[in-house]
Amino acid sequence: MRDYIIRRLLMLIPILIGVSIAIFVIMQLIPGDVVSGILGIEETPELRAMWEAKLGLDKPLVEQYFSWIGKAVTGDFGESFRTGEPVFPEIMKRFKISAELALLACVIAWIIALPLGILSSLKRNSVIDRIVRVVALLGVSVPNFASATLLILFFSKAFNYYSPVKYVGLFENFGTNMEIMILPAFILGSVMAGSVMRMTRSSMLEVLRQDYIKAVRAKGAPERVTIFRHAFKNSSIPIVTLIGMQIGGLMGGTVVIEQIFSIPGLGQYTLTGISQRDFPVVQGCVLFIAFVYVIVNLLVDILYTYIDPRISYS
Amino acid sequence: MKKLFALVLALALAISLMPTALAEENVLKYGVDADAAGGFDPHTISAVASMRMIGQMYNTLVDVDEDLNVIPELATSWEQPDDVTYIFHLAENVTFHSGRAMTAEDVKYSFERILDPEVGALGNSSSYAGDIDTVEVVDPYTVKITLKNINAPFLANLSSSYCSIVDKDVVEANDGSLLLADGGTGPYTLGEWVPDNSVTVKAFDNYFDEAGKATFDAIEFYVLTDASARLAALRTGAVDLISADTAMLDLVENDDSIQTVSYQSRNYTGLFLNVNRAPFDNPLVRQAINLALDREEIIEFAFNGKATISGFVPASLGHWAVDVTENEYYTQNIEKAKSLLAEAGYPDGFETNIIVGLLDSIRDTGLVVEQQLAEIGIKVNVQDVERGQYLDAWNGHDFDIMVCQNGAGSDPSRAVAFFFKTGSSANIQDYSNARVDELCELAVATTDTAKREEYYKEATNIILDDCIVAIVASPQEYFLASTALQGFAPNASNANNFAGVTLAK
Amino acid sequence: MFKKGKSTKNRALPGNESLLRQLWNDPMGRAGMIGVGIVILLAVFAPWIAQYDVAKMHAKDKLTGPSAAYWFGTDNFGRDVFSRIVYGARVSLVVGIVAVGIAAGFGYLFGMIAGFFEGKVESIIMMVMDVIFAFPSILLALFIVSALGPSIVNTMIAIGIVNIPVFCRTVRASVKTVKSTDYIANARSIGLKKMTILFKHVTPNVMAPFTVQATLALSGAILTEASMSFLGLGIQPPNPSWGSMLSDARKYMERAPWLVIFPALFIIMTILSFNILGDALRDVLDPKLKL
Repeated sequence: MRDYIIRRLLMLIPILIGVSIAIFVIMQLIPGDVVSGILGIEETPELRAMWEAKLGLDKPLVEQYFSWIGKAVTGDFGESFRTGEPVFPEIMKRFKISAELALLACVIAWIIALPLGILSSLKRNSVIDRIVRVVALLGVSVPNFASATLLILFFSKAFNYYSPVKYVGLFENFGTNMEIMILPAFILGSVMAGSVMRMTRSSMLEVLRQDYIKAVRAKGAPERVTIFRHAFKNSSIPIVTLIGMQIGGLMGGTVVIEQIFSIPGLGQYTLTGISQRDFPVVQGCVLFIAFVYVIVNLLVDILYTYIDPRISYS
Repeated sequence: MKKLFALVLALALAISLMPTALAEENVLKYGVDADAAGGFDPHTISAVASMRMIGQMYNTLVDVDEDLNVIPELATSWEQPDDVTYIFHLAENVTFHSGRAMTAEDVKYSFERILDPEVGALGNSSSYAGDIDTVEVVDPYTVKITLKNINAPFLANLSSSYCSIVDKDVVEANDGSLLLADGGTGPYTLGEWVPDNSVTVKAFDNYFDEAGKATFDAIEFYVLTDASARLAALRTGAVDLISADTAMLDLVENDDSIQTVSYQSRNYTGLFLNVNRAPFDNPLVRQAINLALDREEIIEFAFNGKATISGFVPASLGHWAVDVTENEYYTQNIEKAKSLLAEAGYPDGFETNIIVGLLDSIRDTGLVVEQQLAEIGIKVNVQDVERGQYLDAWNGHDFDIMVCQNGAGSDPSRAVAFFFKTGSSANIQDYSNARVDELCELAVATTDTAKREEYYKEATNIILDDCIVAIVASPQEYFLASTALQGFAPNASNANNFAGVTLAK
Repeated sequence: MFKKGKSTKNRALPGNESLLRQLWNDPMGRAGMIGVGIVILLAVFAPWIAQYDVAKMHAKDKLTGPSAAYWFGTDNFGRDVFSRIVYGARVSLVVGIVAVGIAAGFGYLFGMIAGFFEGKVESIIMMVMDVIFAFPSILLALFIVSALGPSIVNTMIAIGIVNIPVFCRTVRASVKTVKSTDYIANARSIGLKKMTILFKHVTPNVMAPFTVQATLALSGAILTEASMSFLGLGIQPPNPSWGSMLSDARKYMERAPWLVIFPALFIIMTILSFNILGDALRDVLDPKLKL
């Protein structure tokens, strides 16, 4: 097991290198560069040359990449082309915010989805099953920017309420922070709930028809034990896979919601980086997100072995 | 279970007892459509969104008022011994936010910084301070600026934030960058910037000018990119003032707690034709395009009616403006347009691309134009591109037709020469007309306003008759504010001036 | 792919009851089929159903509510919302289907290969998938479209690429579970060729989770396209997609609610229908569920 984890962690290296090369190439392919963003319509050839020299963009591409990666391996992600601020501390600051949002969203999704999924699988093809399935799907069915705008409009018209506009950290003021986060987390959670619920239902169904469940039932085990100890536990592999992927996807995938609710998360930082062609910011953000994603998935794979002892990594 | 319940209860109590807001603070909360981009260095930041804060933090030697008259700011008076020499007498009670008194040395330093190639300052062009030859300190409160050549609008151009006076010590303490530092003299100092959420500027107690002193303890700019979220925030009192979209205006018409504030901008939106690319190299085609446009309809659709038909020297530029309503190409005439196209060799029209982006009004203009040009047989493919690609097309002069919204500045040296003179960086069409160039040079070489007006008007008319652009309209800019906000009167010279503004709470 | 499943099922179920009939007999399946059917009909017959040109602006009828002349009202350009929705069905459906086709095809292939062969092949494939998946999907799609230039084809390619790993991982995970069951071991001992094993036994067994993912991804593709419109890199105007209609309408949500309601209703209907149909399909396809 330990060897497996070490091997997986070592695999991070080629993945991160692959990601960083991919980003570098895409950033070169994308039209526009950071200098035109800085200068706007004031751009002249002289000013452009000054800024390219200042930012090191006049050097050959390969040299630019290697000088960046050379520093990155020592943990120095460089400074933003635009603000001159070091990228890494800003990423960490924003990661905390996005992670909080993602976890809250997951919790909300689980609270909605797991019971509904189990219920619906047990009452398969009943009216309850159908209603539950349709309701759970409503969250996934609306683009989240539309539901977010609608919710904001609704709260402002109906209750004269707008969530606090000034962002406050979780540890600065817990109450205000929750007030800021709850609406966006609810929207993200309701989107996730649909797929978690479906996956729960279909995996449960798959397990429930297996012979050993019949055997457990035949032995006269209480229904609750049958369902939770045996059926749910054994059907949780795809659910765990899905949740793992969703958490990974929420890092940066929250960008639309972050924008509408003015939450200074990682998604917005990345998006600003992309739109300003701020290479160190984009590189830093995406690499960090990739890192988190790989780690989350490693945890998921390790979880497998606990859920299903038949799976082993050697 | 009981313990858990008690814990939850205790937590809920704790939350409800948390102090909501200490004392009611005298703070202006301003919902803006975009975050500051890059930071707040007045010399290197071109983003309009950052200007909102920079305007509070920095001063310039002079300012221009609504009617484009140059008025004192840091300089209380000035004289011009000859056409290229300016002597400024500085206010003697100006202090930087660092507490240090501002003197002529700081003015000298500021212009040196602007002219320093290493800095890459935006003011280092003849549109701003680029023509400066020397800056001399005559005495601690007198500074003499000599230009390399006559530059008539120089004085007015000094009012640009690109020519702000900055604190040398602060610049040096921050490795030469003011992006995240505050080296200003303005009524507010930089507080906290939480990117993608808010920027706070705080009152500066030692501001030199009583009339311009901060009236709020702080101004908080909140980034609310979504227009309906902005309106919701205003309605619920979460913010006191927002930058408005014209689409929102009729929603608050009957709302007694919300007032509408607006000013006529000096910007204009229109089509730029690539005159070096067929078929736009043919004047007949360009005339046809101008004649095919129904500008009223574009204004109705793209600006919700809140704009006025305009040329590239808008009426808000006062005596410099040329009345375009008289121009024969400003009245839609489909029949004539069709016959001109036929004459040009395109009886069945042609297909072309139109680049739009950046602003909704630019995009919407493109969509309406697509419909209008279809009527004379021109098939237009609208390419709605993202910011980087848009700027690429602009800087690379790579487009067939591009819809742009430009600022006409405060002088035709911007409105005419900057955009249409041969070789000028903003002449994205690579338009070249010997007479226009000559007129622009004549106009720069004299300080006689009547003469300059004559030259620029002739150049303007040549460009209009050449039909290389099809300018549509100059938009009205809008704010929505709580009725408690008093004294807020923005104008095109100073859209975010909060001097004397108060909140009656 | 569905054909494979069908043949398996036919083996399990005597009689010639067709797949469609089985779906139709299930109330959820029927609802899904009707919903999907409506969308497909709208898309196919758009030119006959739509009353107006989607780009045609009516200056006098700007932002008018639903009426006899404009069933779903008009937008801020006085364009007919109903006609735009009808044509939008085309755009949204094509984007969804092509993108999911790309994703499912490649995902299935890579997932099968990875899950079955294991070892180095698996490591390499999963690493490439991880590289793709490690990008936040909306940002990767934005990246690809920014680089290729905004157009409908590039949008489909971008959404397709983004979704490959979802399929790949789902398929691989199921293959792994299936492989650990006895009958594969038995099949192997009989000496069947690997490829035969792959298709005969694994395919029908991964069909269920795979179908669930495919229907979800189709909805996801429609939503991703909408988000891209929101972030300014969607379908090129004046062509309507439901997502871009919804995104453009946000400013007018209060003034002209019909601009939001109708595209939203159609998006909801489509996504619900596809999901419900996917579920029903899964029930029908899964051979063991009938036992």
